[in-house]
Amino acid sequence: MGQSTKTRFDTLALHAGQIPDPVHGARAVPIYQTASYVFKDSDQAASLFNMERPGHAYSRLSNPTTAVLEERIAALEGGVGGIATASGQAALHLAITTLMDGGSHIVASSAIYGGSHNILQYTLPRFGIETTFVSPRDIDGIRNAIRPNTRLIFGEVVGNPGNDVMNLPLVAEVAHEHHIPLMIDSTFTTPYLINPFDHGADIVMHSATKFLCGHGTVIGGVLVDRGQFSWEQSGKFENLSEPYKGFHNMSFDEESSQAAFLLRARREGLRDFGACMSPTTAFYIIQGMETLSMRMDRHVINTRKVVEFLQQSDAIEGISFPELPEHPDYHIAQKLLPKGVGAVFSFTLKGGREAGRKFTESLEIFSHLANVGDAKSLVIHPASTTHYRMSKDDLIAAGINEGTIRMSVGIEDIDDLLEDLSRGIHQSRKARN
Amino acid sequence: MKIILDGIEYYAYTASHEPNPDLETVVFVHGTAMDHTVWALQSRYFAYHGYNILAINLPGHNLSRGKLLPTIEDMGDWLGEIMSTSVGKALHLAGHSMGALIALQAASHYNDNANQGAPLRSLSLVGFSYPMNVAPPLLDAAKNDPVKAYSMMTQWSHASKIGGEPNPGFWSPGMQMSMMKNSPEGAVFTDLNACNNYVTGEQALEKITCPTLFISGQLDKMAPAKLAVIHSQKNDLAEITMIPKCGHALMSEQPDRVLAELKEFIGKNSSQP
Repeated sequence: MGQSTKTRFDTLALHAGQIPDPVHGARAVPIYQTASYVFKDSDQAASLFNMERPGHAYSRLSNPTTAVLEERIAALEGGVGGIATASGQAALHLAITTLMDGGSHIVASSAIYGGSHNILQYTLPRFGIETTFVSPRDIDGIRNAIRPNTRLIFGEVVGNPGNDVMNLPLVAEVAHEHHIPLMIDSTFTTPYLINPFDHGADIVMHSATKFLCGHGTVIGGVLVDRGQFSWEQSGKFENLSEPYKGFHNMSFDEESSQAAFLLRARREGLRDFGACMSPTTAFYIIQGMETLSMRMDRHVINTRKVVEFLQQSDAIEGISFPELPEHPDYHIAQKLLPKGVGAVFSFTLKGGREAGRKFTESLEIFSHLANVGDAKSLVIHPASTTHYRMSKDDLIAAGINEGTIRMSVGIEDIDDLLEDLSRGIHQSRKARN
Repeated sequence: MKIILDGIEYYAYTASHEPNPDLETVVFVHGTAMDHTVWALQSRYFAYHGYNILAINLPGHNLSRGKLLPTIEDMGDWLGEIMSTSVGKALHLAGHSMGALIALQAASHYNDNANQGAPLRSLSLVGFSYPMNVAPPLLDAAKNDPVKAYSMMTQWSHASKIGGEPNPGFWSPGMQMSMMKNSPEGAVFTDLNACNNYVTGEQALEKITCPTLFISGQLDKMAPAKLAVIHSQKNDLAEITMIPKCGHALMSEQPDRVLAELKEFIGKNSSQP
């Protein structure tokens, strides 16, 4: 027997999940742009639909191109498998609807993406699923928010808008004390900067639209299961441990001791809700993931230089970046994210709304838009765009100041980025005067 | 399905079917620190195609209670009891890796039992070698650093290091690692040690009187195929299938091929239509 060497990150990012096309020899992952698949015979068809054999029957359930992405992200995260979805929001929805029913309860970090907050705060209560929001720094608060019907603890590695870093090992401990899984949105950090499974998470989700794809071209999401949570022993997840009439009385936990969650998510969630990823989208995300480590290294380097530049400006009121010693989560960030905390952060300009508006409107290289995780640098001023209806007090309650700018630093030449920022800061000063 | 033996509750996957006494039964046996789900893409098919199935969890593994058994002989005896009490008009036995040794051991003694149950019609040994020597570094890791042992076994079990999983959405090395991490404390060492110490395989092979199929992965590093070839040549009732580009995790690496081989072999040795 040879050396026991695990295949390394960069190799997996390029190869995992793909056997070069056996028919034509295509090296790139082919886009299987097809809705369905010709069966060899009726027996094969029946056995595919009944999960007796592996393979593809209909692209809402699975597709060969999408399957490469699912296997690749699972390999990079260290999970047992993955499911690609139509968006990051679809991934969150799929996870929740797989795990719980009306009457269930979620404990979520209060520092999460606005879209996630919307579904938890406003939409899911219509279907009987409630959420209690707690600061990710308040471990006792998280523990105290757990109810008998709590089925999930949910948070982000690096949260919004204050770049709060969740202490994953401690939160995982609380979750597991109560036999509840911890699901982590690792969109901002990607598997290159952190594997949340190594710190106790049970399910990881990504908006693949962001850094995984990396080029702002498509919308997609992924879920990855660690395969270590015992749904049966928890006693709280009949959806996974009891026979399901909707699939020949299958007990998913019995069918797969490691991947019950993924099985039900695919066999019920994708089948019935249908928020699957298109194969062309999967192809773009796969292409992006091939360069993930190189891009993330550059994102991190550029971000550090931008932060250093902003620190030296007297036009800046404050910077929220967990690599700065004054950030409340500096120490946990150093521990969990030694390669860097990513490329998304916020800072506050002196001069309030008008200064923020002028700043963003005068930038040329930084694109003014509502997205993050593109290879191109992006910027948004919430008080004059996404949150413009909110009063100053309401903004502060949401953790945002009138002059707060959110930035996603890209991989352009850093000197051009700094020149662009100089121009923006100059204009913001004019607005103050 | 729960099976009670001597007051202890054991588990066998039946794909939600009640055993039918008019059907033949295929018994699937897993390997070291694994469970019934390694046979998921073969056992479920048989359950929906005219057979009873019992994909067992060995004592102390996954959903089966009881203590881990220290030798292949002990596990073979236990399996023999399961076989004797199973419902069905005939039996087919399939084992993988350590499970193949256990199946061999059970099959070799099955006819000794005057109170035996249904006749054994076939034996399938998948990922089999004898002797099944375990490399000292692996055995040492199994004893002192189980996670390292899981990692070694996972790497050695797969012919490809980059996947290309036939089952959409799964990462087979991750599945194996997770399954082993979920195995009970001490299982990996106990099981590997049992394989390493099994010395009566030659005699067991000589006692087999039913048709036997060896299914080997051409690139199997855990159970070298050449040993299966040697043993297959010693018995007129034996045949061997070598699966190219396949390692030791045959049932997940090439599930359809393994299923096809089992279907053909069990089918031709079955009295069922």
